[in-house]
Amino acid sequence: MTEGTARLTRANTCILVDSTADMPDDLAADPNVSMIPLLVRFGDESYRDWIDITPPVFYKKLRAAKELPTTSLPSVGEFTDTYKQLKSAWDNVFSIHLSAKISGTIGSATVAAEAFSGVTVIDSGICSSGVSLLVKRLLHKLDEGIDYADFMAYVEWFKRERGMLFLLDTLEYIAKGGRIGRAASLAGSLLSIKPILTFSDGLVTPFKKARGERKALQLIVDTFLEQTKPGSPVYIAIGHGDAPEKADELLKMLEATDREIVLSCIGYVGSVIGTYGGPGSRVIYFIQE
Amino acid sequence: MFKACGWGMSEFSLVLTSARVLAAVAAGCRALEARKQEVNNLNVYPVPDGDTGTNLALTVKSVLDELQSASPELTAQELCALVEEAALMGARGNSGVILSQMVRGAMEELGEHGFVGSAVLPAVLRRATETAYRAVRKPVEGTMLTVLREMAEAAEAIEAEEPQVALSELVLRVVDAGWQSVERTPSLLRVLADAGVVDAGGFGLVVILEGIARGGAVSLHGLTPEALAVLPSRDEAYEHAVSPFTYCTSFLLKGQDMNLPEFEAALEPLGDSLLVVGGPTQLKVHIHTDEPGVVLALATARGVLHMVEIDNMKEQTLARTERLRKEEGETRTGAGGSASVVMSAIGQDGVDEAVLTEVVAVVAGEGNKELFVNLGATSLVEGGQTMNPSAEQLVQAVRRTTAPEVIILPNNKNIILAAEQIIGRVEGKAVLVLPTRSMLAGLSAMVIFDPHLSADTNAADMQEVLLGVASGEVTRAVRDSRIDDMDIREGAFIGLIDGKVMATGPALLEVAEAVAAHLVNDGSEVMTVLVGDGEDHQEADAVAASLAHRYAASLQVDVHEGGQPLYPLLLSVE
Repeated sequence: MTEGTARLTRANTCILVDSTADMPDDLAADPNVSMIPLLVRFGDESYRDWIDITPPVFYKKLRAAKELPTTSLPSVGEFTDTYKQLKSAWDNVFSIHLSAKISGTIGSATVAAEAFSGVTVIDSGICSSGVSLLVKRLLHKLDEGIDYADFMAYVEWFKRERGMLFLLDTLEYIAKGGRIGRAASLAGSLLSIKPILTFSDGLVTPFKKARGERKALQLIVDTFLEQTKPGSPVYIAIGHGDAPEKADELLKMLEATDREIVLSCIGYVGSVIGTYGGPGSRVIYFIQE
Repeated sequence: MFKACGWGMSEFSLVLTSARVLAAVAAGCRALEARKQEVNNLNVYPVPDGDTGTNLALTVKSVLDELQSASPELTAQELCALVEEAALMGARGNSGVILSQMVRGAMEELGEHGFVGSAVLPAVLRRATETAYRAVRKPVEGTMLTVLREMAEAAEAIEAEEPQVALSELVLRVVDAGWQSVERTPSLLRVLADAGVVDAGGFGLVVILEGIARGGAVSLHGLTPEALAVLPSRDEAYEHAVSPFTYCTSFLLKGQDMNLPEFEAALEPLGDSLLVVGGPTQLKVHIHTDEPGVVLALATARGVLHMVEIDNMKEQTLARTERLRKEEGETRTGAGGSASVVMSAIGQDGVDEAVLTEVVAVVAGEGNKELFVNLGATSLVEGGQTMNPSAEQLVQAVRRTTAPEVIILPNNKNIILAAEQIIGRVEGKAVLVLPTRSMLAGLSAMVIFDPHLSADTNAADMQEVLLGVASGEVTRAVRDSRIDDMDIREGAFIGLIDGKVMATGPALLEVAEAVAAHLVNDGSEVMTVLVGDGEDHQEADAVAASLAHRYAASLQVDVHEGGQPLYPLLLSVE
C-alpha cells in the first residue's frame, strides 16, 4: 500500500476498474484508466464483459434467453497479472471495484494486491456508472495533483454523499434471478409497478415503488431535488438498459430543474448489472461538490 | 289491548334480569328476521347492496347469541355492558354500526338505572339518540337517526303529559310515533322523495322495537306493501348530503387530557357536520369547512395528528399531490435463488428485519384476494359492497396477525365505520384504519405498503397515494328507478363513481366507457380493470380488452381477473 510522499498526478497514477463500472467511451479511452473484465455466460458460451460482448448484443441475447446468464469474477491470478503490468508503468494504482457486499471481485483484488506496493484496493460500495462517476471525479483531482490522504478522503466523502436511484422497467429479470418472490413479481407486473432501488450500505435495496413510468420518473426527480440543493454543480452519471432515449428523457427532466447539472457520463448498463435490471432499466448517480 | 307484550311488562317498571333481556332481544330478532328479506328487497337505489336488513338482523343476532351463552345470573349492569359490547362486535355495515351506537347509549342509561319503566324510557331513548348522532360522521335527517330521535321526543312528550302512563302502553305509542317518523323520512331527505320511498334503516329500527314490544309481532302500522316495495337502502343517502363548505376534513388526534367539549366548541364556528368523538387520549374529528388549515392548527395545539384526510367535496378529487415523500423504505422482497454473486444481496437485507406492520384487508373475489396477498396483505376478510363483515370478524382478522401494528383496509365506504369501531379493542395491537372506499383504492395503496415501517408512516404514504386514485364500478340495476334525472331500468348496466350514477344503458361496453372517460384526465397514467365473476363475465372480459385497446396509446392498462361478484367491472385510474 502506497503512502507515497509524492503528490498523485496523471503522470504517476492510474486507476483500474472492473467491467461493471460500465464506462462510457471517453473514460474507457482515458490513458490513466484500465479495466479488468468479469465474465458473462449464456449457457456454454462465455464472454468477457464489455470486450467480447457489447451491451446491445447482450440485451438482445438477454431478451431471447430462457435462463439468465451467469457471471464470474476475475481470478486472483488475473488481478496479479494486471497489477504487475500496471505497476511497470505507474507508481500508484487505485483498484476501484463494485461493492464487496454484492460481488467477490474485491476479494480477488485484495488478495492479489498484497503482493504489491503502491496498489490500493477501494470498495466503491456501488456499481455501474456510479463507479465511472467516481473515477471521473478522481481523474479531475489527478489533473490538479492531490495528496494520497486527500485522495482517499475524497473517496470516503463520495461514498457517503453520492445519491443513487435505479429504476427497473420490469420485475421479470430480478424475479428470474430469484431476487424477489414470484408472487410479488406477478402482482408487480399485473399492476405496472415500477420499483426504484438504491444502494444502501453497499447493498442494492428496494427504495420505493410507483405505479407507471411517469410517476416513477417524477419520484426520481423529486428524490434528486430532496438530496441536492441549488447553487453548486451536481455531477451526474446516467446508465440505461438498452434504452438510450429513456436515458435522455431522464436527463432532460433533471436539466429542467433549477439544479446546476454537469453530465459526467451517460451510457449502457452493462451485462453484469443488466442481467438483473433487464432491458429498459435506468440508473442515476449524482454527487454535489 | 297490549296483551301480546313480549317482555311481560308490568304497568310501571321492570328490573332487568337475564331472562327478560334475553326474551326482549329474541323478540326483536324474530321480528327483524321475519322482515329481513323484505328490507333487503326494498332497495330503491340501483346498486345491489340491499343488505340493510341483513346487517341489522346480524347485529341483533350477535347480541342474542352472546346473551344465550352468558350466565343467567348477571346483574343489570353486567347485562347492559354485555349487550353493548355484543352489539358493537357484531355490528355490520353502516346501519349495523349506527344501531350498535344506539344500543350503546341505551345500555349506558339503563345500566345506571338497573330497571326500565315509563319514567326511564324517555331518558334511555334520548341517550341512545345522542350517542348515535355523536358517532355518525355526517348525521343526515330522514334516516334512522331521525326516527329514533322522534321516538325519544314522543316518549318525552307522552311521559310529561301523562306521568302515570303504563310502560307497555308508552312503548307501543312510541312505536306508533316511530312508524309516523318513518313515513316522514322522504320529506326530510331529497333522495328519498325523488325515489318516492321511505328510509330502510329507520324502518328496520322500528321493526326491532315493535318486535320487542309485541313479542316478535310487527304491525307495519299503515305502511302499505306498495310503499314497502320501494324502500331504499339508507346508506347511500348519506353521501348526498350537500354542504356549503368545500373541504371534508377528518383526522385522529392523540394526546393527553384533551378536552372534547372545549375542542368541539373551538371547531364549531369553522364549519358544519362537525363530529368529535372519543376520549381524553384519542379523538376522532370530522368537519366540513373552508378552513382546513385552521382546523388542523387548532388540533396540533392539542395533540398529535394521525390519519388526516382532507377531501375537496366540490371537486370530488383533490389536485394531485406532486411531491412524494421522504421516508425511505420499500416493500422488502423475499430472498432466494442462486444465480451469481453479483447483486445476490437484493432483498436479503430485509429478511432479518422485524415486521412492524401487517395489513388486514376486506376483499371479495379470488383473483382480488390473490393480488392483495401478493402485495403483502397478511389477513383477509371476505366481504364488500354486498356483504359487510362484522366488527367481530375484523377483530378476529386483526388477532390473526402477529405484528404489533395493523392497518385495516375496509375497501368499501360501508365498512369504514365498522372498522373504526375496533380501534383500541384488540389488546396489544395498535390498529389504524385507512379509509379506502373501494377495492381498487386499497390495491393502489398496497403497492407502497412496507411491513417494516410503522402503521402511521405507512398510512400517511398510502393516504397520499389514495389522493391520486379515482375509482368507479359497473353493475346491474336491481329495479327501475330514477336517480339524478336518469331513468334506470331494471337489469340495465349502471356505472358509478363514488357511489354516484354516471351512466346507464343496456350495453356494458357503453357504460364502462362512460365511466372510464369520467375517470381519465390529463394526468392519468395507469388504468386498472378488475373483471368480475358471474353471468356477465364473458362480456366483461371483452369490454376490458376493448378498454385496454382504446387507451393503449395514452395509458398503461392493467386488466386482471378479480372474480368479485355482482360487479362485472371495477375500474380505477391514477
